[in-house]
Amino acid sequence: MKHHNYSIIGHRQPAVDAASKATGQAQYTVDIQLPGMLWGKILRSKYPHARILNIDTSKAEKLAGIKAVITHKDTLGKKFGFVRNTADQYPLAVDKVRYIGDEIAAVAAVAEDVAEEALALIRVDYEVLPAVFDPLEAIDPEAPLIHDGQNNISARLAWEFGNVEEGFGESDFVRQDTFYTQPVNHCPLEPHACVASFEPPDHLTVWASTQGVFYLRNQLSRTLDMPISNIRVIRPQVGGAFGGKIELFPFNVCAAILSQKTGKPVKIVCTREEVFTATRCRHPMIIHLKTGVKKDGALVAVQARIILDGGAYNSTGPVATYLAGAFLCLPLKARNIKYEGFRVYTNKPVCGAQRGHAVPQIRFAIESQLDIIAETLGLDPIELHLKNAVQTGDVTLNKQVITSCGFSECLEKIKAQRSPALPEGKGIGFATCAFVSGATYHLFFTTEAFANAIIQANEDGTVSLITGVADIGQGSDTVLAMITAEELGIGVKDIKLITADTDLTPYDWGSGSSRVTYQAGNATKMAAAQVKKLLLEAVSHELDVYPEELVARDGRIFVRDRPEKGISFAEAVSLAQKSTGGEPIIGQGEFQPQEAKVNLQSGEGNTSPAYSFGAQLAQVEIDKELGKVKVTKMVVAHDCGLAINPMAIEGQIEGSIAMGHGQALYEELIQEKGQTLNADFINYRLPTARDVPEVETMLVESVDPGGPYGAKESGEGIIVSTIPAIANAISNATGGRIHSLPLTPEKLLKALEQKTK
Amino acid sequence: MLTFSYYAPTSLNQACRLLSEAQGQARLLAGGTDLLIQMKRNLVKPQFLIDLKKIKRLKGIEYDPEKGLRIRALVTHSELLHNPWILGYYPILAQAAQTIGSVQIRNKGTVGGNLCHAVPSADLAPPLLVLNARAVVRGLKGKKFIPLEEFFCAPNQTILKDGEILQEIEVPRMPERSKAIYLKHGIRRAMEIAIVGVAVLMALKPDRRTCAEVRIALGAVAPTPIRVVEAENSLQGKIIAPEEIEKAASIAAAHAQPITDLRGSAEYRQEIVRVLTARAITHAARII
Repeated sequence: MKHHNYSIIGHRQPAVDAASKATGQAQYTVDIQLPGMLWGKILRSKYPHARILNIDTSKAEKLAGIKAVITHKDTLGKKFGFVRNTADQYPLAVDKVRYIGDEIAAVAAVAEDVAEEALALIRVDYEVLPAVFDPLEAIDPEAPLIHDGQNNISARLAWEFGNVEEGFGESDFVRQDTFYTQPVNHCPLEPHACVASFEPPDHLTVWASTQGVFYLRNQLSRTLDMPISNIRVIRPQVGGAFGGKIELFPFNVCAAILSQKTGKPVKIVCTREEVFTATRCRHPMIIHLKTGVKKDGALVAVQARIILDGGAYNSTGPVATYLAGAFLCLPLKARNIKYEGFRVYTNKPVCGAQRGHAVPQIRFAIESQLDIIAETLGLDPIELHLKNAVQTGDVTLNKQVITSCGFSECLEKIKAQRSPALPEGKGIGFATCAFVSGATYHLFFTTEAFANAIIQANEDGTVSLITGVADIGQGSDTVLAMITAEELGIGVKDIKLITADTDLTPYDWGSGSSRVTYQAGNATKMAAAQVKKLLLEAVSHELDVYPEELVARDGRIFVRDRPEKGISFAEAVSLAQKSTGGEPIIGQGEFQPQEAKVNLQSGEGNTSPAYSFGAQLAQVEIDKELGKVKVTKMVVAHDCGLAINPMAIEGQIEGSIAMGHGQALYEELIQEKGQTLNADFINYRLPTARDVPEVETMLVESVDPGGPYGAKESGEGIIVSTIPAIANAISNATGGRIHSLPLTPEKLLKALEQKTK
Repeated sequence: MLTFSYYAPTSLNQACRLLSEAQGQARLLAGGTDLLIQMKRNLVKPQFLIDLKKIKRLKGIEYDPEKGLRIRALVTHSELLHNPWILGYYPILAQAAQTIGSVQIRNKGTVGGNLCHAVPSADLAPPLLVLNARAVVRGLKGKKFIPLEEFFCAPNQTILKDGEILQEIEVPRMPERSKAIYLKHGIRRAMEIAIVGVAVLMALKPDRRTCAEVRIALGAVAPTPIRVVEAENSLQGKIIAPEEIEKAASIAAAHAQPITDLRGSAEYRQEIVRVLTARAITHAARII
């Protein structure tokens, strides 16, 4: 597989922070202790929909140990939201609460249990309003309105490329199905947390378990009406996020206001119940899907009408609605596409981004339906995918530009792994995916820079990499250190990382949409190349050669044709400093995606600068009497571009499979009248180490022209194909088809019963 | 704020007296795997916490070839898993203990706690029911022996009265030519509360085909763990054959009174009882 001559890139590199995490030395937000620090807690609505008539905090304020109680009157009443022009959430409820868990008041106390006791003393008078929980009911014009406006539709996107009606007319076979997906939670091991410390007269420091320090700073700045330069956001170690820590949360704002009121630092750590019910969950969807094909499997027309159950607020709603439509076909091509997506408000916990962000749901539907079509027409599903596979150089109907694509190679590799005949009770399922390597500029309507890096060389032969990237456990710090080390010819251990602190590091958008390796990787590579240029120039004068004759590798800078002629990296840094009269040896880099102009309304535009592709096989064993499914093995072929750190990529793929496996088979937030019934780890079942299948990973390294060394994404794509691969394997083993997630034993027994009828 | 008085008596007498004096306001602490979680969530707020772990009389497993097995209340699930007498003579108990929680929970959780917590899904209850176990209960007035079938009254409620403590479980010898098995239905392979639990003990006549005695117990499908005598009676004295097994399994399913909850619907649980009972009988009848 080794097709290059890199000394660091492409080699297996353990995470740079692995030892500190394994030994417990790593500091997470909850570990932060500051002198005089107080505990904050949030009072949450117990009704799914109610008008707030009065809030009486007098008793709570008198409780010994209580330092502050705040309500919306203490806030500026400014709405915030993931997408700025659809902001609809207040830090503390102003007039209404819209779901069980909505924030009403916050307290700061000398101890956590005192804060809890104070919450019970706050009296809220409610006028309970009619609530709506079913998105199909909520969409009805007569339904109770959750927000001001004409209806409960929080986002609607619709587009058509080609003409699907004509397409269905030309098709030899048309299939229609409706699929349903469930609400699930990210379940990061570390709950959401922050510490806010207000220093008079006007400076705020916030330590937060977040995916992006600059994004959080901007949101805080707007919500608190403070200039960004007066706010410092620092990311301690983060114990998992998966999209659930990408936004501002009301408790962040409350901690800041409580600190300002008390003059003390305030820590708020969400309980697990709060993580489950009052942060974000994955959008449940109702997916009406119609696909027309030719006899040979050529895709003629695909039409989808999707209802996303958004919960009480907008969160990432418009983006989720766009992504579900943008990835209706990719990694496949169809001649005609029609999409209509409605995101609907309901009086339930809020839905936002989660690994794969709206794509796993749509792919579950499409890949299940293609499997049904292949079976009906007697086609091999892998051949069907090969026939319609997107290729390098393609521009899709919605104008996604495919700069590199190893999808067909992924399919061929998976085909070779497929075992021919299987014994009774066993099955295999096949599915595919495509995903973004970061979003493009206009999708988030931001004006901020995208990714920056600064590298300073030190005369002891190390370099400092200064970047705003917030590693959330995925290993991006390691990848950026590897890029720096490769470019400069030094070791990963020689890279000193200064990251994710808005006062110290240059801007980076954060760990979201699988963007860091591609985007921050490019910025880092550019910064390292500048440092290298300065060093080579200095060394070239010293050795009396041209800079182009020099190579930086293995801690030395030497003449390519005469390796013995050279000096150490450390000497080169000193030399360069002397030659410039003492100027620091600094390089800086940035990355901006090309002008992309994604138009959410028309659906046209290049979603991402590069796309990953994948295919996978799930092997299952079924107990048909109990309906129990055991996933015995997953085989994955993933085109992640050049694999900078194969070890981390395997970890990401295994993580995607663990999460997808849980969401396919076990996980569901069970909600009754807006109340979550299983907000704990005994009744919300994550797969345990004993459940997760063996994973075999094959990397297909299409070298992307725009990626650093040709790299693309690997953090999210594979969860997209994991869920339908399991669904298709169950169908393959039993003949039973389940149209709704999760694929529980009970549903499987019903499906099998129906089949025999 | 959660406040309580903590006691750690060193004798059973002391513990019984403390418990009785507390007049229902005390909770006994054994492994704490259920109680401490409930206390942290403010679901129970005891005024007094009586920690039993300093009482030596509540620890250990004894075996006598004549009288059988004695499992004291503080024996942990992990101890069951590694005890040679249990592995040799009562493997069903190790098998059931293996399905409880995680390694950490099995290291802390106790047999006494599992039974006295009296949840319908307690994994040790169905096996001990088919083993004809009895509870030895200690109170201020002395010892009482209670057949395990009479021990459970309702969810989270046992027959124990104020001032009474479960001291140990006595398990008689298994009948000749017998084998017992516990089958648990859960979704995950660890950290699962039973959706259905089925225990079957089968003793065969010397012909090794005819059922001499069968005992069937179910967990998680009624307000308490239950024996299903009607299903047992249908098999008693019969030659073990598939149709007899199916019949007994169907009777067991019909006598289950499951509820619909987060873990499964009543209908589904009833079906699982049928399948697992048939499997357990088939397996237990296969005596080598």
